[in-house]
Amino acid sequence: MLRGPGAIDLGLTVNGEAVRVHVPPRRTLLDTLRQSLGLTGSKRVCDEGTCGACTVIVDDRPVYACMTLAIACEGKHVETIEGLTKDASGEGERGLHPVQRAFIDADAFQCGFCTPGQIMSIVALLRATPSPTEDDVRRAVAGNLCRCGAYPNIVAAGVNAGRRKK
Amino acid sequence: MNAFSYARPRALADALRMLRTGAASALAGGTDLLGLMKDGLARPDALVDLTGIEGLRGWSHARGKGLRIGALTPLVELETDETLAKTMPILRDSLRDAATLQLRTMGTVGGNLLQRNRCWYFRDEGTVCWLKGGTRCFAVDGENRYHAIIGARECAMVSPSDLVPALIAYDAEISLTGSRGERRMKLADLFVAPHGSQRREHTLRPAELIVEVRVPEAALARKGTYLKAMDRKAWSFALVSVAAAARIDRGVARDVRIVMGGVAPVPWRVLAAEKGLEGSALDDAACTDAAERILSGATPLRDNGYKVTLARELVRRALRSLVS
Amino acid sequence: MPRVVKSREEFEGEVYESLVLVEGSDLPQLDGAEHTQIAHARRRIDGTQRVSGHARYTQDIYLPGMLFVRVLRSPYPRARVRRIDTKKAEALPGVRGVLHRFNAPKAAFRGEDTIFREEVRFVGDEVAAIAADDEDTAAEALRLVEVDYELLPHVVDLEEAIGDMAPPLETDGNVAESATHKRGDVRKAIRDADAVIDATYRTSTQLHNSLETHGAVATWDGERLTVYESTQHVFGVRQGLRTALGLPFSKIRVICDYMGGGFGSKGGVGKYSIVASLFAMRLGRPIRCILTRDEENLAAGNRSATLQQLRLAGKDGRITAIEHTSWANAGQGKWVANPTGPTNTIYDVPNLTSKSYKVITNAGALSAFRAPGYVEGTFALESAVDELAIKMGVDPLALRRKHAGSPKDPMGGKRYSDKHLLECYRIGAKEIGWERRRSGGLRGSALYRRRGIGMATQIWGGGGGPPAYATVHVNPDGTAVVTAGTQDIGTGTRTVLAQVCADELGVDLADVDVRIGDTETPYGPISAGSITLASVGPAVRIAARDAKEQLLGAAAGVLETPKAELRLEAGMIVSKGARTRLGEILGKVDNNTVIGKGGRHPNDPDLSQRTFGAHFAEVEVDVRTGEISVEHVVAVHDIGRIVNPLTARSQVEGGVLQAVGFALTEERFLDRATGRVMNGNLENYKVPTVRDVPAKITVKFVDRPDRRANNLGVKGLGEPPIIPTAGAIANAVANATGARVRHAPLTRARVLEALAVAGARA
Repeated sequence: MLRGPGAIDLGLTVNGEAVRVHVPPRRTLLDTLRQSLGLTGSKRVCDEGTCGACTVIVDDRPVYACMTLAIACEGKHVETIEGLTKDASGEGERGLHPVQRAFIDADAFQCGFCTPGQIMSIVALLRATPSPTEDDVRRAVAGNLCRCGAYPNIVAAGVNAGRRKK
Repeated sequence: MNAFSYARPRALADALRMLRTGAASALAGGTDLLGLMKDGLARPDALVDLTGIEGLRGWSHARGKGLRIGALTPLVELETDETLAKTMPILRDSLRDAATLQLRTMGTVGGNLLQRNRCWYFRDEGTVCWLKGGTRCFAVDGENRYHAIIGARECAMVSPSDLVPALIAYDAEISLTGSRGERRMKLADLFVAPHGSQRREHTLRPAELIVEVRVPEAALARKGTYLKAMDRKAWSFALVSVAAAARIDRGVARDVRIVMGGVAPVPWRVLAAEKGLEGSALDDAACTDAAERILSGATPLRDNGYKVTLARELVRRALRSLVS
Repeated sequence: MPRVVKSREEFEGEVYESLVLVEGSDLPQLDGAEHTQIAHARRRIDGTQRVSGHARYTQDIYLPGMLFVRVLRSPYPRARVRRIDTKKAEALPGVRGVLHRFNAPKAAFRGEDTIFREEVRFVGDEVAAIAADDEDTAAEALRLVEVDYELLPHVVDLEEAIGDMAPPLETDGNVAESATHKRGDVRKAIRDADAVIDATYRTSTQLHNSLETHGAVATWDGERLTVYESTQHVFGVRQGLRTALGLPFSKIRVICDYMGGGFGSKGGVGKYSIVASLFAMRLGRPIRCILTRDEENLAAGNRSATLQQLRLAGKDGRITAIEHTSWANAGQGKWVANPTGPTNTIYDVPNLTSKSYKVITNAGALSAFRAPGYVEGTFALESAVDELAIKMGVDPLALRRKHAGSPKDPMGGKRYSDKHLLECYRIGAKEIGWERRRSGGLRGSALYRRRGIGMATQIWGGGGGPPAYATVHVNPDGTAVVTAGTQDIGTGTRTVLAQVCADELGVDLADVDVRIGDTETPYGPISAGSITLASVGPAVRIAARDAKEQLLGAAAGVLETPKAELRLEAGMIVSKGARTRLGEILGKVDNNTVIGKGGRHPNDPDLSQRTFGAHFAEVEVDVRTGEISVEHVVAVHDIGRIVNPLTARSQVEGGVLQAVGFALTEERFLDRATGRVMNGNLENYKVPTVRDVPAKITVKFVDRPDRRANNLGVKGLGEPPIIPTAGAIANAVANATGARVRHAPLTRARVLEALAVAGARA
């Protein structure tokens, strides 16, 4: 059954919650998260699957939200950077995910624009590989460009987060 | 992207029916199609999402019957499966440096085979090049460091896939299905250098889908190597890539295959060079000689002569590694 | 009482004399005692916001009723816009407004009176803008605009534009002298020389590719304009909007809370800010105009491609003369950076002539890009110095040492406020193992791999100066807020300003917050030129001291103790062994916010404030494939006192990485026939990935306060680490292989070609 091309109702599961949005089929998952759901942590940098700043986790795998249609995510579990912070009102850094804490400790960001994507890539890595090596982290974030060049610290953060989770 | 409608059928027959109507396109991983649509190069009325179709995902290996890979299998599954890495190691070797983890997670085998080329004139909506119905190839007199050094006809684009040379080096075949029924062909025959009225990289018919890739059992006995030169250390299409494979029988090579990516509009092979290595111990002189033979027909453009040097060396190294 | 004084500041390679307002007297240099915050590694105070996705960047601003703008750009490098028909576009449902040269009000921008030119001059030049309910609709509408262009002859390539066959783009030609310097007698020195090298170097156009593209969101309430913009200079944007729109300063507010990189390109108002503002004022709705990646790479600036000729003469183991001529492709830019800047000042060489030319072409305008000119020039100069050393048969580092020790700027003769360049050499040589370097290189880790070591020198400004102001508000609970009109472009400005405040005030770092990026705060300079900390930091320190004095005064009253007997430590008022929480004291005072003010005092006009450094690189080169692997970069910098060793190290690593891109992979390609940018994207414009990081980066600082620079003894670090890396890498490649690549980036094609030349010579 064809749906669209006008806006239609979609049911998505985002960060564990069922949500409904009203968007046309051409709307990407990235724009849907950002515009319809106010989840602006995932960034739009290239909008063509080349930079990784929009990396989110869909069914436990890292994907580029800019090259994914929202409509194609019905029935799937979408996780964004916002979903990592269980209790955002928690004092200080209490609500942060171990990878997020590792990023702060290792100074693994400068402007911070690629950071949510880097973190999501590493969170996905740690689910499959709980104690990654430096090379594991490099391979996991090779599709996440950082123009400030925070890479050495990103790699350190990834390795440290693995150690910390154990 | 233009406005379009969308469907996610569960049955292959429904998908084929939908694809026959109007300007509908098949969507799998979307990593190439959405890029083409965002660049204004594809403007389908409808997208038929194939990922809901049962039975086209995953791989199987029945002893003696070869390897079968469903067209909707995500590339990352071929890369990470430990059993498959033993059955056909070149798959992992070719995919490890292909694109990025995210793109390999999203992209499928079928989509990888059918991806359109990366020529920057082709990808620029504002440039009406020959492949898009224009009168000339802009790369020939333009910026051509990434373009073909061999085998080009009216269009100087290069075959971009990392997986394809590896599969062809193992004599892979594909099964297709469409309105005119099912057919099988050698994967190598899917690709043609665009020329004349053929202004496309593939011979896929309208509303036809690849459903499966098969690698014959005999080929799985080969040793294989995949080498890729990029202009940075990761996340680049190949400047030059080489898939080399052979059965090593008592120190000599049999059934040698040398398939290159990034150098020609199609995965490039020189059969005479492969035959010339039949029974060779693949010593340095033989490998160097084969490399020379493969590249002897090269006609580089202003800025891509370096690819000839690079291709020769990669061929030599890939062949040498089969016996080391 | 504020008074007007003269100041002398260096900014991006140029020296400016200005009049500034100052008040009171400066604080003495920070003492040498142990400090509670300064010189300690501190995690970024805005880390939680950045890692949680809650940091709000301009791109993240979505307002109710907001319209989305897309810009129609010229597909031709040079053409006259004769007619624009927007009827079909306006008929598209969801389209709310169209602006182009026939209906837009005049708006002054960079010396022109409109943002939509009659003659468009590069592919990407603004032709029209459309506001619509959503972005896809605006994009579809652009396709429906019909424009009648009259094509005009164009030139986009630097060397073609210099040549006789190029169409003149301005009445006085395409080439204009932009800087020149002469000392001594170069001709005579060359005549008398033992060795002369004469070589031509090229650098390609580098694109910033800040991950957040340029853009603005504008709102208009009928009276006031508020613009959220990704910018390095909120006050600069405000000034640009005033000029374009004719509104008074008091009715314009510019906000940039978080920004996703700028690297020099976000120095002021853009056409997108003006378009957003014009639509907001015309339609009365919030307007968002944010560039796409392609647009970013067409119309938001670049580092000019250069052609540089260098002639160096040597005699008796010394450099006796340098002649440096540079041509830089400014595109449609109104200025150009000066690649001969480092040549004029790094080495004390008696005979020197330098000339720098600006070349205009039908390409997008350059903009400042992290050490503009110095990156390009240092690559050429330092390659040439090595070539001369090799020709003279002397050690390249020993040759440099002979010319690098002068305490005075050889260009103007002024004394440096401080200089430890020879110390940088000493540290770097030790860390890289310079004694292992052999002429002819070393064996690599595998067959066909050669290893080599090279180095290059860095000079840059970064002394900062006035005007820069700050306030420190101390709240009744003892927490403090620093407010300053500066920006954090990723360098960690918030964190180091908080450290300065906490240190001076005597409170915990966790009790200090920093509000920046808003024109409704005390004026701050552009975050560029490596000037931020050295400009704003001293003002924050004065403001914190002012607040502390007031607090101690208040405490003296409350505690009935003479002020002289009180101290402020870790948020406690300390008197003769008794400790009282600051909040407790303030709670008793009716005036419950103490406000300290501070302004940056002028620099000593008789001194030259400069930063120095040296990078050493070790590389491996696969001589059959031309692949370069950077194995180790040692970066040593002399930038005065280090406030935060953690973020300083990050800054250097990032600079090295961006330099590795410049040196090895980054290059814009323009099609000469059509003027189109072929790789205005992140697929084919190759910024370094995580796997392009050198196998090892060693970061070292001389870390001695520059006591004559400012009250903190600090200088800037934003740009120094991108300057010398490419030269060091090129010299290491030449050392490894004998192949001299004179064009950055050192791509495989260029390396293989140079190897072939070297092989033929050998």
